[in-house]
Amino acid sequence: MQNLLDPKVLNAISGLDLVAATVVDGFVAGLHRSADFGFSQEFAEYRAYAVGDDLRHVDWNVYARSDRAYIKRFHGETNSQLMLLVDASSSMGFASHEVSKLSYVRFIAAALAYLATRRQRDATGLVVFGDTVRDFVPPSSRQGHLQRVLASLMHAQPLQTTSYAAPLTHLQAFLRRRGMVVVMSDFYAPPADIVRAVTPLRIHGNEVVLFQVLDPEELRPTVDGSSMLIDLETGAQLEVSEDYVQGRYRERIDAHVADLGREARRAGIGYHLLQTNQPLDQALLQYLRLRTGRD
Amino acid sequence: MGWLAPGFLLGALTIAVPVWLHLLKQSASRPRQFSSLMLFEPQRRSTTRRRRIDHWLLLLLRIAVLLLLATAFAEPFVRGHLPGTAPEKLLVLALDDSYSMHAGTRMEDARREALKVVDAKPRDTQAQVVALGSRADSLTEQVQDAAMLSTAIRGITATDARGSLALLASLARTLAAGTRMPIELHLFSDMQATGLPPDFNELRMPPGVTLVLHTVGAAVTPNWTVESVAAPSQVWDPTKTRIVATVAGFGTPEATRSVILSINGRTVSQQSIKVPAAGRASVVFASPEIPYGLVRASVQIDPADALGADDRYDFVIQRSERVHGLFVHQGSDTSTGLYFRSALESAADAAVALEVVTADQLKNRDLSAYAFVVLSDVAGLAPAVEQRLSTWVRAGGRLLLSAGTAAAQQKRIPVFDAPIVGSHDFTRDDIRFAAVAAVDDAYAPAGALSGWQGIKIFYVTRVDAPQAQVGLRLADQTPLLLEKPLGQGRVLLFATGFDRLTTDLPLHPQFVAFVDRLGSYLSGRGSRLSALTVGDSVNLRPDAAIHGSVDVLAPDGSHPLDLRQAAQVRTWPLPGAGFYALTLADSRHDLVAANVSRLESDLAQATPDTLKLWKASSAEQVAQSAGTTTVTTAAAIGRKESAHNLWWYAMCLVLVAVVAESLVASRYLNTLRDSS
Repeated sequence: MQNLLDPKVLNAISGLDLVAATVVDGFVAGLHRSADFGFSQEFAEYRAYAVGDDLRHVDWNVYARSDRAYIKRFHGETNSQLMLLVDASSSMGFASHEVSKLSYVRFIAAALAYLATRRQRDATGLVVFGDTVRDFVPPSSRQGHLQRVLASLMHAQPLQTTSYAAPLTHLQAFLRRRGMVVVMSDFYAPPADIVRAVTPLRIHGNEVVLFQVLDPEELRPTVDGSSMLIDLETGAQLEVSEDYVQGRYRERIDAHVADLGREARRAGIGYHLLQTNQPLDQALLQYLRLRTGRD
Repeated sequence: MGWLAPGFLLGALTIAVPVWLHLLKQSASRPRQFSSLMLFEPQRRSTTRRRRIDHWLLLLLRIAVLLLLATAFAEPFVRGHLPGTAPEKLLVLALDDSYSMHAGTRMEDARREALKVVDAKPRDTQAQVVALGSRADSLTEQVQDAAMLSTAIRGITATDARGSLALLASLARTLAAGTRMPIELHLFSDMQATGLPPDFNELRMPPGVTLVLHTVGAAVTPNWTVESVAAPSQVWDPTKTRIVATVAGFGTPEATRSVILSINGRTVSQQSIKVPAAGRASVVFASPEIPYGLVRASVQIDPADALGADDRYDFVIQRSERVHGLFVHQGSDTSTGLYFRSALESAADAAVALEVVTADQLKNRDLSAYAFVVLSDVAGLAPAVEQRLSTWVRAGGRLLLSAGTAAAQQKRIPVFDAPIVGSHDFTRDDIRFAAVAAVDDAYAPAGALSGWQGIKIFYVTRVDAPQAQVGLRLADQTPLLLEKPLGQGRVLLFATGFDRLTTDLPLHPQFVAFVDRLGSYLSGRGSRLSALTVGDSVNLRPDAAIHGSVDVLAPDGSHPLDLRQAAQVRTWPLPGAGFYALTLADSRHDLVAANVSRLESDLAQATPDTLKLWKASSAEQVAQSAGTTTVTTAAAIGRKESAHNLWWYAMCLVLVAVVAESLVASRYLNTLRDSS
């Protein structure tokens, strides 16, 4: 199962839908051996049919045996909404190996969308942003909507700088239902500013989760001697020494990650650090935890 | 240890270049893209400024190359000599071969002393032999071969040249400029006092030259000499000729000497004179019998002393007939001709017979009978007469024209063929007259005559003759005396008159000398000297336009000029005393007499104090330049310290460092290639 969730393996798969299906199916197969989580496909109870119920949910086998119409209910059948906010700024294009941060985010977003749409029947929406909202897919659970989300993810390219205020302000107008908001970014901004920008998303009781996606090279850069670094977003250049990168910078990036997690938790926001060389199950697991907690 | 060119040590600053390049290499790595520089701190020194230098060995080698190069160019030297090496220096042996070295055994003593120095010379020390007379002749290259040096020394003999000790300092400067080695200069000479220059500074040796003096001969040696002879170079009437000879004794007691005048080897007169102790006396030979032509005359002391060449004074007298000149004037002008003829006849030689005629009488004269013609302010010359004059000049005649107030009324100067552009009467100006402001000293008729500034010119005729040679010029740049060639002859123009109306020249004593010069020049007698000094040069090609062959017959009967010299040489220095028969380029024959410089006759040596001061100044210069110690004995040559230049060793180290740098750099390059 782990192999199927390895980003490097997924990177070799061309279709994002197939990636999503591979990730989710593999992930679900692993979870079936666990008693902690249930999916909406798992039976919960029967309820007598009432006028207005969707005939698709009638258990026709029971009706044949008992001549009574019952509606089959499943876990998690309470419809929810998942909004995926994907940072597609230039810095997300950074990659020290085969999988860039944006590719990794695509995999996560696709898997989450697949999981939410196909397994949980949740409405899924997508916002691709840089310093502005570049693509917006309103949340929906209709058939074929998943393909639209996946298509938008496929078209997301690393451009522009990052701004959290404008896109999130824009998003607030569309969050009319209670649900989950997953923000995926490298979060190169002061933690307080990020949390301040994200906190308004918690209106209507939304659960907000921050997935900070970083390349291992960003956390533990390797520099031989001194190197000239170019900022992917601003184009600024800076010559850095090996000593600084291996010492002071590591302290600063660790502090930044810790600060962001602390600030997020203090604001009641979920936070997870994802590295692009790690399997994707952590993100899915986090989603299911929240999803389960909501049922 | 010291530095010969310490300024090059500034080149050591170039070591900053490899250091910078090595640091630059660190920063010149390929730029890498990074997601965000937000967490970097550009203001921190540790982030951007701290650069580590890789390849320390390569950097050190490169620095070493630059430092060694700067060191080599700065030319380090150490005093003394390096272990296992002989002291490096150049030994120069200068032997005085001037005439005074004929006296006694001076030349032999000098050669013997010089050979001693050669024998004491370390085998690997370079040396050079120079003969020092009126010029310095290098007899050898700078060689180590003692046999070659000894042979050159034994070949030096005393000459008739005049010696100059100042020439030694000049030689030392030339040698010092051509070698990096310290020079030990040995002079073997009788150290004549008359050989010392008037200014002691001319004797100063350049830095790096150690002077060693080897004095030969006695301090005072008595010597008789015919110090000078005053005789005319050209005579036409021997009855008016007086030859005055001065006999001098240097360091001699009072004595009576017999003085003989010889003409062409035959004694024509002999007189006895009493010469005071270390003094001089004169004797006069009046009306000697002189044959026609170039005559070899000599005045000699009988009997001669040990230094015989200066007991005889040779000179040349040319006896010829009087030349005839024609002075032409306007009929109304009766004074000018009188002035001119009186001046010519007043001259000491008076070898010109001047005939004065009017312009009307000129047409009846046969011009070929005259050596020169003077047209004094003649106006309205008939074209036929002018044509005759031109033809005569073109055939070699010499014509003098004066352009006074009458000639200035015409449009052009006849024969001279130059347009008259105007005239100036200075008496109408405030200044009343003009003065001569420029004299061409090389121009025979006017040069070397003093007192021109006192001559007043009241009237001058201005002509347009840009091609003419100008001998005299007024303050306003108006030419006063001009000359230009015409065929084989010459035409002179005096742009004013010889009368008292246009100039006051006839009232001045200079008029006689000027007219005498003009007469001599116009008659072609020139101003030849009766005798020259050994070392003087004779002009074998008076007319540079004539390219004929020349020849010299020396006193010993030899022809010293080779074929190339006979075809090309223009002047030739007289190498020894005696008579020289010359065949000039224009096929004329001439005779010159050369005598030993009488400065060589005084054999008194320079005082010991003077020589001591000379040596001291030399040692001072050497000590200032290299800190060496002056040692003035030949035996001490091998012990003298000198400055040893280390630049060669520095260059060797540069080579080693360059090779090592290449090897190390190659290794690093391979490492980089492998890693990339």
